[in-house]
Amino acid sequence: MTATYALKRLGMALPTLLLVAIAVFALLRLVPGDPAQLMLGDAADAAQLEALRESMGLSHSLPVQFARWLGAALQGDLGRSLANEQAVLPLIVERFQVTASIVLLAVALAAVIAVPLGTIAAWKQNSGLDLAVVGGATLLLSIPSFWLGLLMLLFFGLKLGWVPVVGYVGFGEDPWQALLYIALPVVTLTLIETGVLTRMARSAAIDVLRLEYVAHARSKGLRESTVLRRHVLPNAFAPTLTLLGIVLGNLLGGIAVIETVFTIPGLGRLMVDGIYARDYPVVQGTMLFVAAIYVLVNLLVDLLYPFFDPRVAAE
Amino acid sequence: MKTHSLLAGLAAAALSILPAAAQTPLRASLNSDIRSTQPGGNRDFNTDSVMMHVVEGLVALNERAAPVPMLAEKVDLSPDGLTYTFTLRQGVTFHNGAPLTSAEVLWSLRRYMDPATQWRCLPDLNGRSGLARITDMAAPDARTVTVTLEKPAALFLPTIARPDCGSTGILHPSSVGADGAWVKPVGTGPYSLGEWRRGQYVELERFEGYAALPGERDGFAGGKRAVMPRIRFVVIPDSSAAKAALLAGNLDVLTDVPSPELPDLRARRDVTVAAAPSMGVTALLLQTRDPLLKDERIRRALALSIDVPELVTGILGQDTQPNASPLPTASAFRSQAQASRPARDVAAARRLLAEAGYRGQTIRMITNRRYPNVYDSAVTAQAMAADAGIKIELEVMDWATQLDRYTRGDYQMMSFIYSPRLDPSLSYEMISGPKDTQPRKVWEDSQALALIQRSMTVTDGAERQAVFDELYRLFMAQVPMIILYNQPDYVAFRQGVRGVQPWASGQTRLWGVSRD
Repeated sequence: MTATYALKRLGMALPTLLLVAIAVFALLRLVPGDPAQLMLGDAADAAQLEALRESMGLSHSLPVQFARWLGAALQGDLGRSLANEQAVLPLIVERFQVTASIVLLAVALAAVIAVPLGTIAAWKQNSGLDLAVVGGATLLLSIPSFWLGLLMLLFFGLKLGWVPVVGYVGFGEDPWQALLYIALPVVTLTLIETGVLTRMARSAAIDVLRLEYVAHARSKGLRESTVLRRHVLPNAFAPTLTLLGIVLGNLLGGIAVIETVFTIPGLGRLMVDGIYARDYPVVQGTMLFVAAIYVLVNLLVDLLYPFFDPRVAAE
Repeated sequence: MKTHSLLAGLAAAALSILPAAAQTPLRASLNSDIRSTQPGGNRDFNTDSVMMHVVEGLVALNERAAPVPMLAEKVDLSPDGLTYTFTLRQGVTFHNGAPLTSAEVLWSLRRYMDPATQWRCLPDLNGRSGLARITDMAAPDARTVTVTLEKPAALFLPTIARPDCGSTGILHPSSVGADGAWVKPVGTGPYSLGEWRRGQYVELERFEGYAALPGERDGFAGGKRAVMPRIRFVVIPDSSAAKAALLAGNLDVLTDVPSPELPDLRARRDVTVAAAPSMGVTALLLQTRDPLLKDERIRRALALSIDVPELVTGILGQDTQPNASPLPTASAFRSQAQASRPARDVAAARRLLAEAGYRGQTIRMITNRRYPNVYDSAVTAQAMAADAGIKIELEVMDWATQLDRYTRGDYQMMSFIYSPRLDPSLSYEMISGPKDTQPRKVWEDSQALALIQRSMTVTDGAERQAVFDELYRLFMAQVPMIILYNQPDYVAFRQGVRGVQPWASGQTRLWGVSRD
């Protein structure tokens, strides 16, 4: 039953992905600027430009370019970067691993902090603690990520010298160094996402705390900690899980600002660099990949939902 | 005993630290990754900077951007000005240990001239751009290579020495695979290509068999001594992050320092900032075919309304001198005659505008934020022109879009930066030409075009100088654009780093640089 549902959802995602592909292709071509022109700079003459455009496959009509790209993409070939001639799919996979290592760690940490914090704030609604949590969360989600990132970088990297300021080392090479290099981006992202998730967890827990079965649990004489742990937290987590899915989908699609500030070679930077260089295959491939990730993450959240809210499975 | 143990402990600690310090490569920043490892192929400014450490050509540009022998011991020109004879230096070897002979030179030149290589400078040497046309290349013996041109061309040597042409770097045939596909550059430079981690860094390793030219460091030519065993160009796109990396000691040399960061860096004792005027030109382009700006009086009024020395000091401080000439201040051909510029005269500007019937029509000026000084120049010029009653509106766009508009000539006015042209003829060629076929060209004047063409063929220095002085006179009279200054190249480096010296080409040189 679950497998059929998953397959059905995946099937439904195909038109979405096709629409994304068409939209990205069309929008990119509408943006002024020419990759051949950028490569040749201010010294380019018309003949050189034409020759380079020809070699890049940009001299064909737009429908032909799109059909060729889509045909290859359906066979798993997203083309080659116009800027550095690398194959796009391995490039995306390589950069995605970097982004995923930061995002998964940050979101997991944020969830671990935010869900209990939001639940406790809801339990102590309108108290000083609640005010502090809500205030802190609002502050965190209001801070621009680049600003927080720069502050972290200047304080922990420059002033205290605890962690390197720029660069990246993969976990496969040296796990300890890898942790040092991603520490600041992870902490920055964790702080921001903690703000978002805390507010959601608090709001969901407030709703649950008002329900009759919580009053019933209390009237049975259960301790507050048991009421919260056994009855409130699991039920309040379902809406937070939806938000978690959206957050994860968003972040896995690239944390361009964080990656730029901390010089992390992730998916977001790949896309931003691709846009500035008008590297069409890279931008198209990345956007399609991001859309697919988004669909998959949301599917995964939907599949997990019945574990937290059995009514969904029943429906 | 205790003292001995302590000393032994300290020695052991020192020994364990020293190799680690020595192992850390000299690290310099790049604001974007290189595009490829093919000299003069898929390249940009950063690619050129890195590749100039790896490959060398028959000639190279010296500190004054003039071509001098590099892999050639001497260059002889036949009396008819058509045949160049390059006698190769002895004792030069490639990174793979093979000796340099005329066979590799010929192989490299033929590869560059093959359209399949997509060498950037092919149109300049196959006659398409009108600059020069090679008709024959030969290797009469193992130490001699001859190149014959269709017509005498003063720009032949400067062109093959250009960094954007990869200095026509001589490569060993093992640089390509059996199928002809590019593998990596096996050149003769002071460093060989180590590891390129895309998006992260490019690391070069010292070539122990390098044969340096004698003398002091001289442009891309003399005195290239690889002091550091390894150098690493670290890709850091964000300038704030790059500055933080320098201050934290994660970077030794910060290249391309934005001017707003200068006061802070200069105030620090552990950082030194060095500057040199580059050959890049920052200017306000005027569309001479625009219904409004085709009137020379309005263009002159614009030029008179702007206090260029004040603008330059305001944006760049005292480091940079204004320059009105298309020839950069570092050019050997920028004579005293080209140093004059009419002072700001708002009243005269107003008179000219009244004569031309200007009634406050809006002039749209395109600019970008990628180059902060270009943007600041646009904003300052807008404010100064307003004093004369000229209404300018700014249109800020990303660099790719601005470049597209520039190429199509689709603008009224544009605050723009030209990449360095290292030969004076090319400085004028970059702005001049027929707009019907080359809409990007700013200056369209038949007399000027004839003079530029002449400057490309005459080889006598004094005669060339006279041509450039005459071109400047015409340029200032017609005001097709307002040249402001040559963008200075700022480099910051940490205490203990020695030998960093920016220069006119704007390219980073890490040979001759050491770290304590």
